[in-house]
Amino acid sequence: MLDFIQSLVNGIAAGSAYALMGLALTLIYKTSEVVNFAQGEMALVSVFMTYLVLDTYGFPFYLAFPAALVFSFLLGMAMEFFVLRRAKNHTVLSMIIITIGMEMILLGFVSWKFGADPKTMPFPLTPYDAFIVGNIFITKLETLTLFCALFLMAALFSFLRFSRFGLAMKAVQQNPTVARLMGIRVKRVLLFTWGASSLTGCVAGLLISPIVMQPYMMWDPMLKGFSAAVLGGMTSLPGAVTGAYLVGVIENIFGSYVSIEFKSVVAFAIIVLVLCIKPSGLFARHHVKKV
Amino acid sequence: MKTKALALVLALAALMLFAPVLGAEEGLTDTEIHIGQWGPQTGPAAPWGAVARGTGVYFDMINAKGGINGRKIVYHMFDDAYNPAKTKAGVKELQESVGIFAWVGGVGTAPGLAVEDYLMERKVPWVGPAAGSMHWITPPQKYLFAVYPLYFIEAKALVRYAVRHMQKKKVAIIYQNDDYGKNGVEGAKEQLKVFGMDLVAEVPVEITDSDLKPHVMQLRRSEADCVLLWVSPKHAVMTVGTAKAMQFAPQFMSTSTCSDYTLMYKISNGLWEGVICTNFGELPDSGSPLMLEYKEAFKKFAAKDERWGTFFLAGFGFAEPLVAGLMSCGKDLTREKLVAQMEKLKNFQGIMGKVTYKPFDVNDPNCRQGQHEVFLTQCGKDGAVIPISGWMEIR
Repeated sequence: MLDFIQSLVNGIAAGSAYALMGLALTLIYKTSEVVNFAQGEMALVSVFMTYLVLDTYGFPFYLAFPAALVFSFLLGMAMEFFVLRRAKNHTVLSMIIITIGMEMILLGFVSWKFGADPKTMPFPLTPYDAFIVGNIFITKLETLTLFCALFLMAALFSFLRFSRFGLAMKAVQQNPTVARLMGIRVKRVLLFTWGASSLTGCVAGLLISPIVMQPYMMWDPMLKGFSAAVLGGMTSLPGAVTGAYLVGVIENIFGSYVSIEFKSVVAFAIIVLVLCIKPSGLFARHHVKKV
Repeated sequence: MKTKALALVLALAALMLFAPVLGAEEGLTDTEIHIGQWGPQTGPAAPWGAVARGTGVYFDMINAKGGINGRKIVYHMFDDAYNPAKTKAGVKELQESVGIFAWVGGVGTAPGLAVEDYLMERKVPWVGPAAGSMHWITPPQKYLFAVYPLYFIEAKALVRYAVRHMQKKKVAIIYQNDDYGKNGVEGAKEQLKVFGMDLVAEVPVEITDSDLKPHVMQLRRSEADCVLLWVSPKHAVMTVGTAKAMQFAPQFMSTSTCSDYTLMYKISNGLWEGVICTNFGELPDSGSPLMLEYKEAFKKFAAKDERWGTFFLAGFGFAEPLVAGLMSCGKDLTREKLVAQMEKLKNFQGIMGKVTYKPFDVNDPNCRQGQHEVFLTQCGKDGAVIPISGWMEIR
């Protein structure tokens, strides 16, 4: 029983990082229906830049982390402004392919600039200090990640639900042309979305970096975040977060009780299952597209 | 008439195709020897890519000293990202366009396996695969000379030490779910059997896993007092860290692949202290004359931000027997002659353990396994290396 509770806790702990990535993906998908495959690598660049100013230039921690958030916001906007907006062919498919290309470029950049030796981010919390209640443990870093994920979800959700900007975003997603006719600055909405999404990803990256930093460190969280977003229906922020915790918990329980060997494919099985059985996700409020 | 002309053209074409092979050895001119190596410079296994760069510096040093009997080594290195498909494509491309006389090193069991048959069919010598896999020598291949002591041997050495000297009763293993990891499991099992024991847990890890909690929980459930880490450096650190968070504190032991204590101590924030690893070569800070010479070469030829670590140095070590073999061939070098000379190496001592080969015998794997020695070290404070055993010869 204790083991089962611990597996649940582990799943929730693991789910937080997926939740942040899921949120980031959902934000962009919500406005443009583009799955941003460069999401993980955008966070990667921000994280390694933070490492650079912390480790090489000796900036204090309390300056470097906020600076990282600003940097990631700008990076996201730059991606939209300099790359996606320049695309000649604005179909969803070509956009997705552009993001895959950007993913490779950013990954290559980090591998080239920082090399492959694993590093760890100097961080005030060591990743293996834990709170222990009874015999159940959760590390302090995971607790922090959990709070960050829930806070960002609540903040983004209420901002999009209750502000005019959120309404504008919804309009852009449903019909960009009509939105523009209604006086919404569509491009500006997209620009902001990319910035916010990049920032959310960066928070995930920063919270993973004290454990290990390597050029491919975001692959796993990104893929799990993606399956979480699919599970949550791709357009719902609380859906993505719930999906992430579900993925984390299912994965951990599967690993503990069924097969640890196939634990890492559970997330993909979830994607396939959801797409087969309920393609609109668990939190479906998806409009049915008329072709 | 027409068919005759066609036959002539075909014959000519065939002649042209085989001409370079018939004329001289592939990858060899009067002034150059072309030698190739792959190594992951990107992707999950990239920290081990330092091996291929180390070999490059070693060859620069050999060339600066006048090369090999008047020939310079031309070194071709490429990044395969530890992806067997890329390894195969890269090897084929270099072999069939540039022409490579011999291959050296090459990180990884899976990448190596992808090209083993190809190289052996073409009778291209390959010395010192940078992975201690049983596959290189079972069955032995005439043109493949292994240097790296087997992971199998390393596991045996560690288990022997744990049971005999540390009185450990329950040994478990967490292993990468591929050939590298499975060789460790096999070795540990065989040695434990000698003591009338068995592994109390065998936990597989996928190389891309980012969360090892269920794995460590399984180890904890087995109540192991000694855990072997047959995983990548990143996963080794995560296992040790997660165990600490769970207040599970067995003796951790790991392979030579995680024996770069400076690196391991740094990325684990000091948690690596106390871990025992096998080593297959002299330590990077040893003061032997050969090591000092290599260190000079490192200062002279290595890239500015390169680190003098275990893997980089291993790149020297895997290439040493090849260079010794080439040197002893004299001016009229051929692949067959190289093989014959390699077979004469006996207790060859570079910076690794002693290397010995024997004339080719299909039934004797050891005729192509050069090194059988390892020694154990423990990680001390600030990543200091504390030797805890002498060279142990294990078969």
